[in-house]
Amino acid sequence: MAMLEPVHPLTPKSWYLPSKPHKFCPGCGHGIVLKALGENIDELGIQDKTIFGCDIGCSLLAWNFFACDSTQTHHGRTTPVMVGIKRSRPELITVGYMGDGGGYSIGSQHLLNAAVRNEKVTLILVNNTNYGMTGGQMAPTTLPGQKTETSPYGRDPEQTGYPTKGPEFIAQLTPDSAYVARATVSKYNQLKRFIRNALRNQIEGNGFSFVEVLSTCPTNWRTNAQQTWRFLEDEMEPYFPVGELKSPFGKGDK
Amino acid sequence: MEGERVLEAYVGEYASGKSEISINRALELLGQGRTVTLVDLDTVEPFYTLRSLKPQLEGMGLQLISFSREDAFGLGETGAMLNPQARWALRRSGDIILDIGYGVYGARTLNLVEGANESKELKVLAVINYSRPLTGNRERIREYILDLGRVDAIVANTHLGDETTIDIIEDGNAEIMHVARELNIPVDFITVDEKLQGSIGVEVSGIPVKFIHRFMPAAMW
Amino acid sequence: MEKVFSEAKKAFMTGNETAAWAALAAGAEVMFGYPITPQNEIMHYWTRMAPKYDRGFLQTEDEISAGFTVCGSVQSGKKAFTATAGPGNVLMQEPFGMAEGMRLPLLAIIQQRGGPSSGTVVYSQQEVTLTTFGGNGEGHRIVYSTATHQEIYDYIIKGFNTAWTYRFPTFILGDGYQAKMREPLELYSPEDKGIKMVEPYPLIGLPGHIGEDREPKHLCNIYSLEEELYEVVMKISAEYEAISPELTEYQERECDDAEIIIVSHGVVSRAADDAVTALRAQGLKVGCFRPITLRPFPAQELKNCIQKSGAKKLLIAESAYGQLFRLVRQEIYGETVPMETLFMPGVGIIDYDIMSKIKSML
Repeated sequence: MAMLEPVHPLTPKSWYLPSKPHKFCPGCGHGIVLKALGENIDELGIQDKTIFGCDIGCSLLAWNFFACDSTQTHHGRTTPVMVGIKRSRPELITVGYMGDGGGYSIGSQHLLNAAVRNEKVTLILVNNTNYGMTGGQMAPTTLPGQKTETSPYGRDPEQTGYPTKGPEFIAQLTPDSAYVARATVSKYNQLKRFIRNALRNQIEGNGFSFVEVLSTCPTNWRTNAQQTWRFLEDEMEPYFPVGELKSPFGKGDK
Repeated sequence: MEGERVLEAYVGEYASGKSEISINRALELLGQGRTVTLVDLDTVEPFYTLRSLKPQLEGMGLQLISFSREDAFGLGETGAMLNPQARWALRRSGDIILDIGYGVYGARTLNLVEGANESKELKVLAVINYSRPLTGNRERIREYILDLGRVDAIVANTHLGDETTIDIIEDGNAEIMHVARELNIPVDFITVDEKLQGSIGVEVSGIPVKFIHRFMPAAMW
Repeated sequence: MEKVFSEAKKAFMTGNETAAWAALAAGAEVMFGYPITPQNEIMHYWTRMAPKYDRGFLQTEDEISAGFTVCGSVQSGKKAFTATAGPGNVLMQEPFGMAEGMRLPLLAIIQQRGGPSSGTVVYSQQEVTLTTFGGNGEGHRIVYSTATHQEIYDYIIKGFNTAWTYRFPTFILGDGYQAKMREPLELYSPEDKGIKMVEPYPLIGLPGHIGEDREPKHLCNIYSLEEELYEVVMKISAEYEAISPELTEYQERECDDAEIIIVSHGVVSRAADDAVTALRAQGLKVGCFRPITLRPFPAQELKNCIQKSGAKKLLIAESAYGQLFRLVRQEIYGETVPMETLFMPGVGIIDYDIMSKIKSML
């Protein structure tokens, strides 16, 4: 049998190729989010002035994903680090990248207050309903009844409350100049458009920009491809409505 | 007593000397056989100001409205604590000396004292030390006094602590008096550490010099 | 950047105001802070003056955020600082750790208050252990313990240069008494004293086109393998040890023939100094030694003092229950001179306290 010629997939220019192939698990949604971000960085021509900041958690695997100046931070602390950079160098485009644990749990105080202050940063939060890197514990976004390593009988809202709806509460906290949306890796074009808007909003100096992205974690969900997609589309998306909750660019895309 | 009593409020920068001058002024009046109440209206961390001097001052016969240590037990920061008695201080008989703490609200702290705005007897005096950077040149003094709100008179209190010299006092106060003339606000008196009594006249350009005893160092340690 | 003082001038003010003016004179560009007594007036005066000198300020949601915004700011090349105390210092250990791990030139002014817990808002020397060795690292920090307003001013200016020269987090360790005391000092612009301020520079957000002029910069603070971290920590340790001799600062007085050496730091060293004067006047052979840098500690210098004097005893005096004592003991390991202690946690120490203790030791 003849050897197949290796196929090099098209990659955004802003991807850092020495770190590819990336280290996310097969079936993980992070790669899709980062592709959408990379294509937007290319199309907006902001590679040289983008600062990419990574939280701890699976987001950290993206620390050298881009050929952009990047920094690691601490769990939950990406938001204040990005705020410190943006306040000091407003000409830079700061993109904070975090998971649901980093953003909604340990870093919620920072997320909330950065939103209230309408800090001119862009934050992308990947919601996969669990703590992936530490081995699948319950997250603020774990669905009712969902099993995780720390909710072995399924999340009981009586005991641990209901999943955090981040964009909904951030939309309540921010003025009209903010951009707030929820996207999903199952709708790539929409995801890319939302991230583009979140970057544009910072570039134009309007205000806080936040995109939560519903994503997949087959490794910790212990799901095959079909089950993974089913969980995303049939369980997560009905619970976490996708769309633009606040946009300075006209009527929100629902 | 009505009409004769002294109602004075001393306002100024942090560490401008307003507490020191308030105490000295209260004791001066007390020395004239008058009834005097000294009110600590320093809403910023009052434990640092008059509180530790309370027993001593009360022993001298002053009435003091300020928190004592026991009052503040367990209260920690106490930054914005207002003694309820301070609110009604002007209802007391006799002379009232108000020590107003520093802050961006300046003389507006007097709003906390019932009747202060309506009182015709009350006089607001701004204490200025030229050796402090924010009141360290004419322009800054002017800006500072205008920002205080109501100011009826100025007290020139230029000094450098233990390093004070007559030159420092005279040069600094000359600048303060210059601005006072421009703003048409009288300089009521000049204050000088009693240790320098004898090296400076009892009057400068017609303005009386009051020699003061420094109590505040004892309040720190 | 506009000169803050066109000529040196004497001023009379509190330590907190002094700190704010020093940061201005040093060319600090932005402060991030969160209110906590007894450092508040540093923020009050900074926020009053910052707009006049085109400097920045942000009051963050907590001390964790204040520390991390400083980390981000210095990464982007700005001379940034914060100030805190007590429980705020505890919260800031997390960003201070990031600054240690990533070698960020962060400067923090600590005005110690009483502990543990919320303690008092007044005064102590109980944040020595936290400031020198706090965090989950190896204490790779530079800590100046000041005693006078002039030192607060001088060491903040020096501290920014230390931070940006060596890129270790740098601390100005004061206390609530120094914060609130009033005393005269000289204010000046560094250049007028021949002090050249080190220019800040960015670690990320660099000029040039990525892929054409330069590679992207990826800053890292977490490692996969034990060996990788080992390499990093060993490298940082070696660099820290190499610069330590040029960083250590101390003062000694009347130690040549001292039978008892008082060891103290910060504001307590003023009481020790007064005590030495008084005791010498009484014919007692007493000297004093004061570490100005608590990290790195002037260990060899203290050992030299002990050896040249042949001191029979040391007296460690501090407004804490043994934090300086533990530091001294570990630093001069091997010396057999007996040590006595005067521990007054959270309380001021005056010359009388030290003199009484010395007389009980004779």
